[in-house]
Amino acid sequence: MQVLWGCRRVPDFSGVSVPELAEFEKEVRQALSCSKGAFDLVQVPMPGAIRAPGASPLNRFGMAIDLDACDGCGKCILACMEENNIPLSPKEQRDAGRFMHWIEMHGGAPAMCFHCGNAPCEKVCPTGAASHSPDGLSTMMYKRCTGSRFCGANCPVGARKFNYVDSVKEGLVRKFNPGVPLREKGVMEKCSLCIQRLQDHKHAQMVAKPGTEWRGSGLKTACSEACPKNAIIFGNWLDQDSSLVKEAKHRNLYVPAEIAALDPSVVYMRGRR
Amino acid sequence: MYRILVYIGAVLLLLGASAFGLSLWDGPTAWHTDARTFWGIPISLFVLWIGLAHAGTLISAIFLALGYPLGRRTSMIAELSTLCSLVVAALFPLVHLGVIDNFYMVVPFLDARGNFANLRSPLVWDFCCIAVYGVVSLLFFINHLFSEKKPALKKLIRPMAWLLFPLVLWVHTIVSLDFAVTFVPEWRGAYFPLYFIAGAIYSGLALVIILLTAEHCRVRVLEKLMLSLSWFMAAFWFWEFLLKGMFSFEVFFLGAVVPQFMWLRVIRENTFGRLLVAFSILVSLGLERYILVTPSEYDVANAFGWLDLGLVAFSMGLFVLLFFVLRAKLSALLEGDDVVMGEIVLQEDDPAKMEVSESNVFSALRLPLLLGVLVTLVYVTWAVSCDSGVLVSLSVANIVPLCLPLLVLVASIVLCARPLWSILGNRIRFVAIVLAGILGVFVGAFWAGGGSDTTSAVVSVQELASAKSIEGIWASRCASCHGNDGKFNEKFVREFYPLPQKLSLERLDSLGADSLVHVILNGRINMNPYRGRVTEDEARGLVHYMRLLAGENQ
Repeated sequence: MQVLWGCRRVPDFSGVSVPELAEFEKEVRQALSCSKGAFDLVQVPMPGAIRAPGASPLNRFGMAIDLDACDGCGKCILACMEENNIPLSPKEQRDAGRFMHWIEMHGGAPAMCFHCGNAPCEKVCPTGAASHSPDGLSTMMYKRCTGSRFCGANCPVGARKFNYVDSVKEGLVRKFNPGVPLREKGVMEKCSLCIQRLQDHKHAQMVAKPGTEWRGSGLKTACSEACPKNAIIFGNWLDQDSSLVKEAKHRNLYVPAEIAALDPSVVYMRGRR
Repeated sequence: MYRILVYIGAVLLLLGASAFGLSLWDGPTAWHTDARTFWGIPISLFVLWIGLAHAGTLISAIFLALGYPLGRRTSMIAELSTLCSLVVAALFPLVHLGVIDNFYMVVPFLDARGNFANLRSPLVWDFCCIAVYGVVSLLFFINHLFSEKKPALKKLIRPMAWLLFPLVLWVHTIVSLDFAVTFVPEWRGAYFPLYFIAGAIYSGLALVIILLTAEHCRVRVLEKLMLSLSWFMAAFWFWEFLLKGMFSFEVFFLGAVVPQFMWLRVIRENTFGRLLVAFSILVSLGLERYILVTPSEYDVANAFGWLDLGLVAFSMGLFVLLFFVLRAKLSALLEGDDVVMGEIVLQEDDPAKMEVSESNVFSALRLPLLLGVLVTLVYVTWAVSCDSGVLVSLSVANIVPLCLPLLVLVASIVLCARPLWSILGNRIRFVAIVLAGILGVFVGAFWAGGGSDTTSAVVSVQELASAKSIEGIWASRCASCHGNDGKFNEKFVREFYPLPQKLSLERLDSLGADSLVHVILNGRINMNPYRGRVTEDEARGLVHYMRLLAGENQ
């Protein structure tokens, strides 16, 4: 019955090997060596509030990646893997240049899910597993995902990753972060914009300073924390005091041409104006 | 002859079954997938077989509705091929899924947990259309099968044909939307519905011509139709080439050049000539679907592994086996005392033609259609109102693709229910009631879903009790044992209880918030249950407070 209805199955760790951190570092190096082609970038204005019923007028989280500062070291990829318990890929997949990394290098600059305000992946998801949070995140409900991979086909930048193998059983995953669940075989995953950090931050503020508006100030995602050049800036597009808006105000913002019309929350910065 | 075909089918099925089993077991890693679309052979086979499933109804229902007479046996063969292809086609989307257990979540039917399928997704439309098409085709087939003996059913055939006519075109339009609404550049184009319908009819005609050859029969009008569709397809392929630069020589040669040999009398009069042309069309369209589904794999020969071939063999074997076994089982009913096959030339004053006039058809359809429209309206208003959890709200336009199938489903069931019931024997009636009961249990089980504590635990932070009250609850309920600062109250505990667990950060993390809430509410070993004394939100706040305390103590 449990199997039939797709209820929660607790992963069994007994008797499986767990990879060492060194193997993750090695995989990141391999991914860096086969970087994908650069995007065609087009200039866009600063992202505003999402025009959809139910969207929050206070928060829209996003990131800006500073192309002038980024040197493509790949530390963000590793930090992301550790934060989100991203599995290693089987060897044959790795050799074909297919990784589970949520951040990938495109022409030497990191690219992750752009969290489009008008996301095409969410429209085609049959079960509603891919949906939008009021805070502007394109989210995934892993338990609701039936693995039709329609979202993956419909993502113009290929940000979605599919769990082809049971990474726990294959010994490809290490639970670095207890706060993030391991994904089962057969579900899609992608950059969550470290939703667990957002959630913890929100809870902490609600408990510590009840009644105040939560704008996510001072919060950083794993990749932006790990960046030695401070090239990835996380923040709230609707909060004029956030470091993101303060920095992006004086820069030219770009996004890949394929998704320029889809209102992305993650942008590239270049040059000053 | 049929026995040999059944054996061939069984051998193909057995060979393919290993591939099928492995794909079920291994999931989507088993077959070759395209790095860009993540799809692969199952979806290609699904599109191919759903296309093949269209010709039967097309030939039978549309010819009938338009008053073009075909021999009964000819149309029965075509309809049987529709049903068998549908069974084959329905298997492949299941194989394709990553988590097959969750397939029921695609049904746009609110479950007890308040989850509703995303009606904006073409996959949901697809699922509904094909399910309805299967049911209505089955009803049509049953009506047609028994109509020789039961005059009550004979009257239903033409109204049913009129119901099926738009549905056939609708279903394949929806299948094409699976591709046409996406952002994959190779799949875009407003001509996709027409392109898919033409392709479906074309391949289906080729299949029916092959099946009729096995009956030693030849229908000239189908051959003509097939030839004219080959020009349509050639035009579409040329258009695709101009628009996107996509061109496959093999597909064009096998699908558009080879069929032109039907112009030659030597070829079309020869059984093997006809079979060759029909098979070449099937191969061409199968290949075309594969290239379409995996647009970045131009090197098909390299991409095809043994498992992909095994799935192809499985689909062919299953169809051949199903079709010819059913054909043999039903041969008495299929053939009847009807010796005529192929086209029938009716005289102007033939009583068969006068028997059903169009006005009879529409008066029979009036009530079922009205009920269908009503049910559809109710469904649309309900579905718009219960779309929850998705930020972008559902518009009525998203439900339009479901309207016609729903209307046709209700109408055909209303139309057929009484006549079918009246001809059933008592024993079959009993079986039908039992089956309906079992179906009801399944629908109820789907609705109820599984037990799930996880969704009820999802709580928005706004509902969290404020920190002041949490501190108060901690002080009044918890601090007596666990201590005000989270290091337990040793004096009290030593006297009355064994030591409670240390609330260290590692321990809290290893347990997780959900299970800690569970422990607070339901108790555990020496910990008292607090359900009724603290609410679930408060328990969640307490867990958070514990984490804060543990962080301070570290």
